[in-house]
Amino acid sequence: MRIVILRRKKEIKYNAIISSCISVLFGIAIYLFILWLFNVNLVDAIVILGGSFISPTIVKDFLIICLIGCGLIISFKASIWNIGGEGQFYVAMIPGIILTLIVFNPEESNAGIPSVLVIILVIITGALAGAAWATIAGVLKAYMRVDEVPVTLILNYIAYYLLNYLVSGPLKGKKTYGYLRTDEIPGLYRLNIVLSTPQATSSFEGALYGFMTQVAYYLAVLIAVILVFTFIMWMFKYTKLGLYIKILGANPDYLLTSGANVKILTLCAMALSGSIVGLTGSLYLLVEWGRIPYGIQSHTPGYGYQAILASWLSMLDYRFLPVSAYLVAGLRNTGLSIKIAGLGDTEQSLIILGSFLLAYSITRFISDYEVKFEW
Amino acid sequence: MNNENYNNLILSINKLSKVFPGGIIALENVNLDLYSGEVVSILGENGSGKSTLVKILYGVYTPDSGEIKLRINNTMLKVHFSTPLDAMRHGIVLVNQVPQLIDRLSIAENLAITLSTLKIKSSVFSNIEYVSKMLRETAELLGVKIDPGEKVYNLTYTQKQFIELIRAIMVDAKIIMLDEALTYLPPIEKKKWYDLLKTLKNSGKTIVLITHKIHEALELSDRIVVLRKGRIVGVVNGNEATADRVRQLMFGESFNGNELIKQNNSNVNQHLEHEIVIENLYVSDDHGREILRDVNLNVKKGEIAGVVGVSGSGQRELIESIVGLRKPVRGKIKVAEVDVIHQGIKALRRSGVGFITDHPLKYCISSDNSIVENIALSCCPSGLILNWDLIEKKTREIIEEYNIQAESVNSPVKTLSGGNLMKVIIGRELERAKRVFIAYNPTRALDELSTVRVLNKLKSKARDEKVSVLIASDDADEVLSICDTLYVLSSGRLIGPFNPRNTPRERIEELMVT
Ligand SMILES: Nc1ncnc2c1ncn2[C@@H]1O[C@H](COP(=O)(O)OP(=O)(O)O)[C@@H](O)[C@H]1O
Ligand SMILES: [Mg+2]
Repeated sequence: MRIVILRRKKEIKYNAIISSCISVLFGIAIYLFILWLFNVNLVDAIVILGGSFISPTIVKDFLIICLIGCGLIISFKASIWNIGGEGQFYVAMIPGIILTLIVFNPEESNAGIPSVLVIILVIITGALAGAAWATIAGVLKAYMRVDEVPVTLILNYIAYYLLNYLVSGPLKGKKTYGYLRTDEIPGLYRLNIVLSTPQATSSFEGALYGFMTQVAYYLAVLIAVILVFTFIMWMFKYTKLGLYIKILGANPDYLLTSGANVKILTLCAMALSGSIVGLTGSLYLLVEWGRIPYGIQSHTPGYGYQAILASWLSMLDYRFLPVSAYLVAGLRNTGLSIKIAGLGDTEQSLIILGSFLLAYSITRFISDYEVKFEW
Repeated sequence: MNNENYNNLILSINKLSKVFPGGIIALENVNLDLYSGEVVSILGENGSGKSTLVKILYGVYTPDSGEIKLRINNTMLKVHFSTPLDAMRHGIVLVNQVPQLIDRLSIAENLAITLSTLKIKSSVFSNIEYVSKMLRETAELLGVKIDPGEKVYNLTYTQKQFIELIRAIMVDAKIIMLDEALTYLPPIEKKKWYDLLKTLKNSGKTIVLITHKIHEALELSDRIVVLRKGRIVGVVNGNEATADRVRQLMFGESFNGNELIKQNNSNVNQHLEHEIVIENLYVSDDHGREILRDVNLNVKKGEIAGVVGVSGSGQRELIESIVGLRKPVRGKIKVAEVDVIHQGIKALRRSGVGFITDHPLKYCISSDNSIVENIALSCCPSGLILNWDLIEKKTREIIEEYNIQAESVNSPVKTLSGGNLMKVIIGRELERAKRVFIAYNPTRALDELSTVRVLNKLKSKARDEKVSVLIASDDADEVLSICDTLYVLSSGRLIGPFNPRNTPRERIEELMVT
């Protein structure tokens, strides 16, 4: 007997949906099997696992990972490996704090500027800060041929320490009872919407209200996801810049001979990528954190890295990004819940991650190739 | 079947079919027998499935259906190769257009790697001394001297191809397949290769020769197999074959009315403005050696100038400097009023210069992107938004005009056959060439019919649109048939201009090798 592997001649219908569903089920099966080997109570595990993927808490992670992923994919498509999502995310919070607490602090000097304008300014400057942070690596790559991977990675740590320095010095809050952190952003600049729901009478209602509350709370992020998604799809389909970025990733030599400026385009791709990550950072500040804490490296939820995983899982295809962002968000939640439930430690979440990645790779492979057995 | 014939049968292909993703039928029910001691040529226009056929035999592609039988220990057994190594082990070797050697290693090291991965007497073959000795002997047998310790990057293209052939002999190949492997060889070298192949054939090897040069097939073959759209449309015995008969099979009726325009170009005397001006140009190659010395060249508006030389004489470096891809040591280059050295490619493109360099896959196309995206990159008018309707229309025109076989405008370029890919590049660059067109070996991947069409198009561009054309080539035929002025590049110097109409061909070929 021999096995023949051929590339599929026709794409499978509903490929994205089917393959993600199969990989979720398959991943769960592998995971449970491993747990079973370790004598863990499978019923408990299933409850936690299922719960994590449908619990309302997944909304936030899903949206944030999606948004950062959108940004990262731009650079990845240009074959520029922007590992610096973390740094761009946090650096973007600095102008937000300065604008809301120092420049336009309503308690100190209310210049009568509408809060909407301040919020928009915060988001724009956040995007610019993210772009600038990413462009540092872009400049080094384009003009000095320094590999962007270590640079963006190091810039993450520089961003952490920069924030720590600012928080413990220049931006240290006045009403923090001695804690090292910034003051809280004034309420009128906050973007979170608190929805009050009636008392739930059934667990279904409970879940429903839970989702409604979460979606309302992160509505600003949801809107940003929709806008950014539309913009990027449009950019890649209809603009010269989008085409340039794709070709930059596929064959920069050809881009050069076609008369384009490869160096400037490298900067553009990085800046664009960083600006969307930065935008996410400023939204996270306005919606979720409301202030910058001290010791970022221990407070970070690690979205910058999780979004890299989500982008790679999507094979740099925007249509897959929501699916893979959901998977990564679910896994993140499972890891936390398992730890909380005392079923295992952090290694457990690595096992889940591993089994999902395995299942996902296999289904992606099978959806691209057909495997025949010949006798 | 005749018994003696059967005894010589070495490989038999039965109902072989291959469909590529996207539904392109590359081969359909192909039946073919190969005998030992014969040269079989496979001819067919670009994209007819020639490469696919030999790649299946070489274990690169898996067929969808059909079977291959090979003589093993005197019986015909069904085989399938999953890798080239597998095919090699069974005595089948493919020599490509592009040499597959590792540049940084010596010749002997390269061969030792192949031989030891094949695990033929591995202990002996990992011994460089032994491999070197064998190399020298095999080369001598073929009448050539080589130094096994030489690093591959020091070799010329011809020498590399020669090493590929020696490799085939050293692994004791019974069937040697050459997929356009002679296409890029200088004409003089080709003659030597023809003799080589005949020697190999007489020693009992089977040679499968893929070419799109009909006269090459006629010169060498015992049988000529013609493929059209994945089917075998005819097998002609070597002694009965004529160019017309083969051409008829290859192209059907479409060849009629497609002769090369012979008419003289009157532009050359009429116009005086120089569109390409090169003065005192000195250029070094990739290894920093001076390859061009004091080159001076002018091309007028509407003139077609040709530069011919043995491959590796600096044509590549000349073209790369003229289009701004390579920084000359010194000298002056002015193309379409652009000072190339200081203003660069962008300015050139903006003033209407189309060009094709060497390594078209690297510099002229992005294989992962679709045809329409590749064309969009250079043909879209200024502005930030792409006008896809316009670009698609232009793409369809190019596909139509150059008869490019592609499933749709959105097919990735990498699914095109070599010739069709080249036609996409030529079509796009000619579209771009509003004032000047510069190219290196533009038609060498094309079949006869496409070549004639492209050359005629070039002529009419020069004659009617007053575009200046500069073609550098390793192939005197390509240049001689169209140019108004001819230069020869030899030992780093540019000799000329000559008038191709009153300079004997022998004189040109003589200059090329001195
Ligand atoms: N890897 C591939 N994927 C899809 N289509 C291919 C691939 N390789 C070749 N083809 C298609 O198969 C046909 C035959 O190609 P090929 O055998 O390379 O032609 P040629 O006779 O010029 O060597 C062409 O139409 C080409 O576009
Ligand atoms: Mg071919």
